[in-house]
Amino acid sequence: MNFYLPGNVWFLFLLVPLILFYFLKLRRPELKIPSLVLWRRVMNDTRVNSPFQRFRKNILLLIQALLLLLLILGAMQPYWRGESAKVKRIPVLIDCSASMGALSGQGGVSCLEIAKKRVREIVAGLLPDQEVCIVSFGRTARKRTGFTNDKRLLLDALQQIEVEEVQSEIEDALRMVQALGQSAPFDEVLLTSDGNFPPRVSFELPFKLNFERVPQSGSNFGITALHASRSSSGYWDVFVIVEGSQKAQNTATLELIRDAEVIGREHLTLTSGQARQMLFQVPAKEAAFLTVKLALDGFDSLQSDNIAFLSLPTMRPLSCYVAGSMVSCSRALQGMEGIDIRLDSVPAAAGTGYDLVVTDRVQDLSIEGKTCLYTGIVPPDLQKLVSVERGGSEVVDWSGSSPLLRHVEWSDVAMLDQPRTAEGVSEIDLENLGYEVLVHGNRGPLLLEKKEGEKISFYLLFHCDRSTLPYRVGFPVLMHNLVQIALHQAGLAEARAAQTGVLPPLKLLPQQSYSVSGPNSTRHEKTDDRGVLAGLPATSVGEYVVSLAGAEQMRIGASLLSSSETFLSYTEEIHFNELSVRTAPVSVRTDQSLWRYFALLAFCLLLLEWWFFHKPLRSWK
Amino acid sequence: MVQQSKPQVTSLLSNDVLGRLERLRINATRLFTSKSRGEHLAGRGGTSVEFSDYRDYTPGDDVRFVDWNIFARLHRPYLKLYEEEEEIHVAVIIDTSSSMMFENKFELARQLGAAFGVMGLLGGERVSVFAFGGRERGSMRLPPATGRASMLKLFAFIENLQGGGSVQIEEGLYDFLRRQSGRGVVAILSDFLTSADLRRPFNLLFSAGLEIFGVQILGPQEIDPQVTGDTRLVDSESRHTLDVSSGAYLTSLYQEYRAAYESYLKENCQKRCGHFLSVSPKDSLEYILFSLFRHRGWVK
Repeated sequence: MNFYLPGNVWFLFLLVPLILFYFLKLRRPELKIPSLVLWRRVMNDTRVNSPFQRFRKNILLLIQALLLLLLILGAMQPYWRGESAKVKRIPVLIDCSASMGALSGQGGVSCLEIAKKRVREIVAGLLPDQEVCIVSFGRTARKRTGFTNDKRLLLDALQQIEVEEVQSEIEDALRMVQALGQSAPFDEVLLTSDGNFPPRVSFELPFKLNFERVPQSGSNFGITALHASRSSSGYWDVFVIVEGSQKAQNTATLELIRDAEVIGREHLTLTSGQARQMLFQVPAKEAAFLTVKLALDGFDSLQSDNIAFLSLPTMRPLSCYVAGSMVSCSRALQGMEGIDIRLDSVPAAAGTGYDLVVTDRVQDLSIEGKTCLYTGIVPPDLQKLVSVERGGSEVVDWSGSSPLLRHVEWSDVAMLDQPRTAEGVSEIDLENLGYEVLVHGNRGPLLLEKKEGEKISFYLLFHCDRSTLPYRVGFPVLMHNLVQIALHQAGLAEARAAQTGVLPPLKLLPQQSYSVSGPNSTRHEKTDDRGVLAGLPATSVGEYVVSLAGAEQMRIGASLLSSSETFLSYTEEIHFNELSVRTAPVSVRTDQSLWRYFALLAFCLLLLEWWFFHKPLRSWK
Repeated sequence: MVQQSKPQVTSLLSNDVLGRLERLRINATRLFTSKSRGEHLAGRGGTSVEFSDYRDYTPGDDVRFVDWNIFARLHRPYLKLYEEEEEIHVAVIIDTSSSMMFENKFELARQLGAAFGVMGLLGGERVSVFAFGGRERGSMRLPPATGRASMLKLFAFIENLQGGGSVQIEEGLYDFLRRQSGRGVVAILSDFLTSADLRRPFNLLFSAGLEIFGVQILGPQEIDPQVTGDTRLVDSESRHTLDVSSGAYLTSLYQEYRAAYESYLKENCQKRCGHFLSVSPKDSLEYILFSLFRHRGWVK
C-alpha cells in the first residue's frame, strides 16, 4: 500500500491534543453506589483475565484514537499499487465493434458491458492527479473525453458507448491515441477488447500497450457473405454463406425475402468450422431488395449478423459506344453477348452516358462513360508530360495484376507510334496526376489507367490499329476484360451487400438535400455537383432509406458480413511492426484508491461508539 | 357513630404486624446457660412447670422431683423431668453506615431490628440493640431490657437511629463484642459489604455464645446492577472511585461475585451454628417475617 499524500501523516500529532483533552475533559458520569467491594473484585478479575482490560478502561479514548487514525489514513490517500508504476495519465481504448455485443450466454451480459464495468472500476479508483481519456473504436475511433479526472464526465461518456455493428479496426484507434500523445504525453495505454481484430497491425507502437481481453462469449452463427452474380439465363444467382464460431453446433432456418415475400427457405444444420453456402436464383427482370434472415433454434450470442440485405439492379445489356474508326475493337465486342453496341451514336441528353466508351477521337472525350478506353489519345492534362511520336516502341513491362491485363501477353506487340515522356518526367509525376502506368514502353508509358470517382479510363497512348495488338491472341482477352470491368462498373456483373461502417456512394440528383433514415437515426445530407452522396455512416445493421422531400428515392441495406466478427475469434497477441503485445492473463490492475474504505470504517466506528456509549444512564437512587 | 382507628404504636411496624409478632418467638437452636430464667425452652431438663419426661431415680437426685403417684403404683422411684425455661439474650445489631442509605435498606434494617426486638421482649428475653455506622457519633447501644414495658423504649431507640458513616461491619462487630455480655442470639442486619475477612468476628460471636442470625440487605440495583457506558462508580462510604466500562460480560461477572459472596457468608454462618439470609427492600416486611423467617425456621 502506498500513499498519495504521505505528508498528511503529520496529522498524527492530533493524537496529542486528543489524549490531553480526553483526560482533561473526560467527564464520566458519576454513579454513587453503596460499596465498591464487589466491583473492585470484578474489575480485578477482568484485568487479570483480559490483557485488554487496561484499554477497556479507556475504551472511549481507544475508539476516538482509532477513529482519528482512520481519518488520517484516509487523508493520506492510500492506494494499492497496480501492476505498473504509478500512472498519471492513461488513455483507455474500448472496443465497441459488433463482436463486443455478443452475450456470454442466455440472459447474460455483453462483452461491452463487461469492458465498461472494468473501466468504471478504473474511473472509481482515480486519484486526484490521474487522468483518463476514453476512446471507443469500432471501424473508426472516436474520442469520448479528453484527459480528465472528472468522474462524472467519464462515467457519462462511458454510459454513452454502445455497440457499433461494424468490423473492428484497431489501427485507427491507435493512431488517434498517438495523436493525443502529442499534446498530453503518457506512457501507457489500456486496451479493453475481446481481441477480435487482425493480429497484425501496421503501426509503430510508441507507448506501452496493456491489452486486457474480456472473457470469451458464447457460441455464434451468422451470415458472413451475401452477393449475387449475373447468370446467363436472366436470373441473379444469390450466394449466402453462413458460418459459426468455434465449438458450436446448431440448427437454423435461412429465409430469403424479397419485398416482404419469402422466396426461399433453407433448413440448416450448422457445425463450427464448416461454412454453409446456399444458392438462390432470383429473376433479374426488375430491381429487387433482398433480405436474408437467419433464425437459429438454440442460443446465438450475436444477433446483428443474423440478417443481411442486398439490392439487385435491373438486368440490362451493357451499353457501349464505339467510334466508327475503331474497327478492330468493334469487331471484338460484337462477338460478345449482352452488349448493345452503338457506333458513332452520341447520346441525345447529357447525363445519360454509356457503360463503355471505346474511341480514338479527341472530341469523344466529352462522352460520358463509366468505363472508357481511349486509343491514340494523350490525356489533355498529360500533354506536357507525354508526347507521341513516330518511330515505334517496344513493350518493356506490364502490370499483370491489373484486371484489364489479366492473361494478356504484351511481349511481342509491335507499334508504329512511340509514346515518350518529356525530359525529367518520371512515373511519379504521372501518379501525382492520378495515372497508373499499366504498360511500360522503352521511351514512355504505353497504357495508363485513371480513376475519377465512379469512372475508370484507360488510355492506350498508341493507336491499336497501328500496332500488332489486334492480331495478338491477347486482344480479344483484353476486350473481354474491358467488358467485365465495364459490367462491374455499371453494376451489371454482380451485386454485393453493403457492409456496415460507411454506405457506398449513392448516385442521386446533384445539389439536393436528402434525408437518410437508418435503424437508429435520420441524417440530412446534400449531394455534390455530380449528384453523389458519399461518406454516409452506417454503424447499425438495417435498412437505410434515402428520401427527397418525403418521397423515398432509394433503399439500401447495411449488413455486418464479417467472418471475424461472426467467428468471435480472438487474438492473444497483437503483432506490431517491431514488437508484440500479449493479452494480460489477468485484469490489468491500476492504482486502487482506498480512502473510501477507511472513511467507511471510520463511520462504522462512529456508529459503534454511539451505540455503545450514548445510552441513558440509570440511577441507583 | 364513627369508629376511630387505633393509633400506631410505632412508625416502624404496623399494629397488624405487631399483633402477629406477639405470637412468634425466635427459634434459637443452641443450648444456652443463663442464670436467669426466661420463657425460652431449652432442650435439656429444667425446672419449669412444663413436663418433659421421666427417668429412673439415681442416688443424689432431688427427691422433690420424684413422682410419688408412680412410686405408689409401681413401688419404684421415677424422677419427673421438666423443660428448662431459660432466658436468652437477644442482641440486634443494625448497620447504619452510608452503604445502608440506599434504596430503603436502612428502613428495612430498622423494621427487622424492631421485629427481632419485639419477638425477644415478648418472649421474655433480654433484648439489646447495637447500632454502628458513624465514626463521629460513635456506636449507639440500647442496654439489655426485658418485658413488654421496654417495647416503647426499643421503638424509640430504633426510630431515632441516624444513618451515615463509614464504619465497616467488622469494626462494628468488634465494638459490639467488647460491650456484649450474656449468651443468646445476635441478629445482624447489614449489607455485609466489606473487603475484610468476616470469619474472625464470626468466630468471636460464636465463642461468646451467640447464635448468629445474619440478614444481608441488598438493594435491587445491588442485586442486578444496570451500569451503562463509561461510568465512574463512587463508594458512598470511602468516597473512592472506580471507572468501569459497562458490558454484559462485566454485569454477569458481578452477579457471579455477588452470589459467591453470599455463599461465603452463608457458609461461615452455618459453620458456627448460625443462619444467613439475603433479603431486598423490594420484598415486603410481612413476607420476610411471616413467610421467609418461618420457612427457614428462624421463628416459630
